[in-house]
Amino acid sequence: MSMPAAVARPETVAARAVNASKVYGEGEAEVRALDHISVDFASHQFTAIMGPSGSGKSTLLHCLAGLDRVTEGQVFIGDVDISASNEKQLTLIRRDRIGFVFQSFNLIPTLNASENITLPMALAGRKPDPAWMDSIVATLRIGDRLTHRPSELSGGQQQRVAVARALVSRPDLIFADEPTGNLDSRASAEILNFMRAAVDDLGQTIVMVTHDPSAASYADRVVFLADGTIVDEMLEPTADRVLDRLKQFGG
Amino acid sequence: MFRLTLRGLVAHKLRFILTAIAVVLGVAFVSGTLVFTDTVRKTFDQLYASVYDGTDAWVRSSNVLKDDFGDEQRERISESLVPQVTAVNGVAAAEGSLRVDRAQFVDREGDGIGNPAQGAPTFGFNWNTVKQLNPFTLVTYEGERSRPPRAPGEVVMDRATANEGKFGIGDMVTISFNNRELPKDEFRIVGVSRFGDSDRPAGATIALFTLAEAQRVNGTPGELDGISAAAAAGVDQRQLVERIRAAVTARNVQVITGSTLVEERQSEAQQGLSFFTTFLLVFAYVALFVGSFIIVNTFSIVIAQRTRELALLRALGASGRQVRFSVLGEALVVGLLASAVGVGLGLGLAIGLRGVMKAFGIDVPTENLVVKPATFVISLALGVVVTFVAALLPARRAARIAPIEALRAAATESRHLGRRTVIGTVIAILGAGALFTGLFADAGIELVGLGVFALFIGIAVLGPVIARPVGRALGAFLPRWRGMPGTLARENAVRNPRRTASTAAALMIGVALVGFIIVMAGSLKASIGGQIDRAFTGDLVVLGQGGPGSSFSPAMGDRIAAVPGVARAQPLRFGPFEIAGKGNFVMASRPAEINALINFEPVSGDFAALGPNDIAVSEKVFEEKRWKLGDEISTTFPVGGKQKLTITATFERGQRELFSDYFISLAAYDRRYPTVADSFVYIGLDDGTSIESVRPAITKVIKQFPGAELKTAAGLKSVIETQINQILGLVFALLFLAVFIALLGIMNTLLLSIVERTREIGLLRAVGMSRKQVRTAVRWESIIVAVFGTLLGLVLGVFFGWSIVTALRDQGFTDFVVPGGQLTLVVVFAALAGVLAAAYPARRASRFDVLDAISTD
Repeated sequence: MSMPAAVARPETVAARAVNASKVYGEGEAEVRALDHISVDFASHQFTAIMGPSGSGKSTLLHCLAGLDRVTEGQVFIGDVDISASNEKQLTLIRRDRIGFVFQSFNLIPTLNASENITLPMALAGRKPDPAWMDSIVATLRIGDRLTHRPSELSGGQQQRVAVARALVSRPDLIFADEPTGNLDSRASAEILNFMRAAVDDLGQTIVMVTHDPSAASYADRVVFLADGTIVDEMLEPTADRVLDRLKQFGG
Repeated sequence: MFRLTLRGLVAHKLRFILTAIAVVLGVAFVSGTLVFTDTVRKTFDQLYASVYDGTDAWVRSSNVLKDDFGDEQRERISESLVPQVTAVNGVAAAEGSLRVDRAQFVDREGDGIGNPAQGAPTFGFNWNTVKQLNPFTLVTYEGERSRPPRAPGEVVMDRATANEGKFGIGDMVTISFNNRELPKDEFRIVGVSRFGDSDRPAGATIALFTLAEAQRVNGTPGELDGISAAAAAGVDQRQLVERIRAAVTARNVQVITGSTLVEERQSEAQQGLSFFTTFLLVFAYVALFVGSFIIVNTFSIVIAQRTRELALLRALGASGRQVRFSVLGEALVVGLLASAVGVGLGLGLAIGLRGVMKAFGIDVPTENLVVKPATFVISLALGVVVTFVAALLPARRAARIAPIEALRAAATESRHLGRRTVIGTVIAILGAGALFTGLFADAGIELVGLGVFALFIGIAVLGPVIARPVGRALGAFLPRWRGMPGTLARENAVRNPRRTASTAAALMIGVALVGFIIVMAGSLKASIGGQIDRAFTGDLVVLGQGGPGSSFSPAMGDRIAAVPGVARAQPLRFGPFEIAGKGNFVMASRPAEINALINFEPVSGDFAALGPNDIAVSEKVFEEKRWKLGDEISTTFPVGGKQKLTITATFERGQRELFSDYFISLAAYDRRYPTVADSFVYIGLDDGTSIESVRPAITKVIKQFPGAELKTAAGLKSVIETQINQILGLVFALLFLAVFIALLGIMNTLLLSIVERTREIGLLRAVGMSRKQVRTAVRWESIIVAVFGTLLGLVLGVFFGWSIVTALRDQGFTDFVVPGGQLTLVVVFAALAGVLAAAYPARRASRFDVLDAISTD
């Protein structure tokens, strides 16, 4: 396997929120989903965002990924202030610099696995690097499924195809929104292992929202959110430590 | 349950509106046509009732012949009968009437007024001096008082003509007649008139003379069309008629009551309109038929999308019956509301139709629209029934949804394409069978219609089977040309073949008719062109500007013959007659010279010596009827009634369909028809004389006869082509409605589809598809569906055209032509229409909020 990007690189910030707030509604009905959050996500790191329901973890992910806009503050992808970007620029940033893995419905039903993997590149009118594509496909063990439509794939296979799609264009960072939420434990472990490997061996950057402590244990760092603010973070987490920390929230 | 139905409708307003529009347009067209027809009918009824109000009895000849267009040619009676009628006890007043068949006003530029190209007549009448017998009223015009015509050389003109030609009372005006001795003359305008409430009834121009003057300009001195009589006080119409009948003993005279006369006139006017009405109604029904496809489609898609909801209802205890009634209830509400709106819109359409008629020179003086209860009932019933029937199949499908499907993720398409193939093929074959039986076994036009209908249904049923391969093939170039959006467009177009096929089927119907008309028109042009080439061996021909059917004074042929360089000018006349008990057309010309200008081959007998009581018959009819030369055949003509003609010659007509199977001499014609006018004059030049050298002199002669045109063979062809193109234009305008509804259907399907694919579009947008790319994908999907429907339609249309042309081979369709250029243009238009239909759905899809879209259920 050729992995040219695997060597250690200088620590840079892949994504950053600066004093970011997201407010829905007005007056009485005002809901503050993000409340003046400032957080950095380092390149080549696997970060998990955790928190109870309504803590704002999904909102944070969406704002970071350019799917949603902050009402206050700034969000950067690399050096680009995406809070100042227009719809067109956001689309291009998502297409060229970001990879996505969603919880479900990750694939276009009319396209086969191979077409789904190369979708963002095809939208950009580019061809994937064949060697890179081959290595991803081989690592994810989906080589024999490439001509299948999503309806002919298992849930785990579908998520692996989604991960392959997120990786194929070598994005600056990958956002994963509960990527194992719909999978059984074996398929979950497979996906998480692969995401871990993508960071370690391929030098990718992943930001993942999850509420599963064992999924979070695959990350380098866990950021805990509650009521729209960052309340804690943990390096080199284990499932037990994460679970202990989470218990302190709910009380 | 029903409340749920209503809630569903309110919640999906757009879907409701789009389904409704298909019904609204069809119903509006039906009700608009009905309202318009009733209004016009009432107008004419009132008009005739009021103008013949004072006429209690009408005396006329009983010898009459009707031609194919419902115009009657009736023998005239002698004016010597007037004193006899006047003398009858109970007659307060009686007066003769005479119509001048052609009295065309000529404007100051020398052009005829009135619109002979539209077939509107230019009549003259005598001015009735008895006020209650006179349908016309004098009006004050531009401050000048009108007076009746009292002397030769005086005329009263209809107000529309006075306006149009900017004539005033006291001015001189030239009038052109179909009179050999008096082709035209100058008159002083002494008055301006109206006919009841109408300036120009049914588009006809009116010139009014004294009776003696009318007889002079018509070339019929001493003759009358009829005598109208008013009853004295205390005598009713029936009594009056009986008394006149007893007093007038002349042969071939009939007396009818004034009310019978009114009824006759009313029914004539209605007959003239019924063709137009039927024509409009046919297109309205086509529009409704197309609309029904859209209803089926919308309901099917909506039920597929609501599978989980309906399954949940089933799981909660709703019966299949209740689910079915819920869907049918929705259809009923949509049908009822849409039909009601359609009827309202129809009223506006009726007003629009009046405008269209006026543009064609037919003034329909209507103050109030006539809306009969029947119009409401018929239109509402049609709309509701069509909607309801269209929803039956989707409702059945909805009722079959199993409760377990509430738990399944997505609705999967059932695949019964095998059975579908068999059913569709059987229906299509039965349809084609019915079509051919109707056409070739003479089993009637109903069978042809049924066959066409069944073919449409059959192809629509087969549609899903071929939608995938054909759609893929149509979109094959897209991935290369439009990249990923192209691929998505192609795949989306074929992902649900049923939906694609039924959306395309709606378009198919309208396009099939368009294609059929194009093929028919192309074949007709080629056939007629060929006939002209074969039939016309002369150099030039004169015909009326209104085409064959309009006519002009026989004086013109005589004068053209006198032009230096012209060897001969051969007139051709046509007239209705009955032979061996059946109505037909006879043609008349100079038998001795017929060969010189028209490709006409006498076969047996002495054609050139055809006498005034002889007739020549085509070989084909001659053999069919097993006639022999010298046979006396019973015939009926407008003048002279029943009489025997002797067959003295036969001729070969071949495929020269421009002509009739029966031929008589000019002398024979002139004594058997009340009016003598030429339809054509064929001109042959001296050897060595070029067309260009004599054209100015002939043109100068023709200038004297407004309404006549000089043409070469090529020019004649182009005249006929222009006429065919005009009809083509009208048919296309009406078919546009059906095509428009079909496009609404495409838009509807796209809208429903993109809503269904909200998450998918959200995902595409999330991973970097631009709004523009989303629009491109939707647009091309639409184009594929539109072109698919168009190709289906054109294949069917060409097939229909071919079968009709083949069936009518003996009736003059000698050539079958598929105008490739025009058909290609139809496909291009369809693609553009696809772009148009996609505009709104594409915009909507591209505007989906990405975050909302990916988190939709």
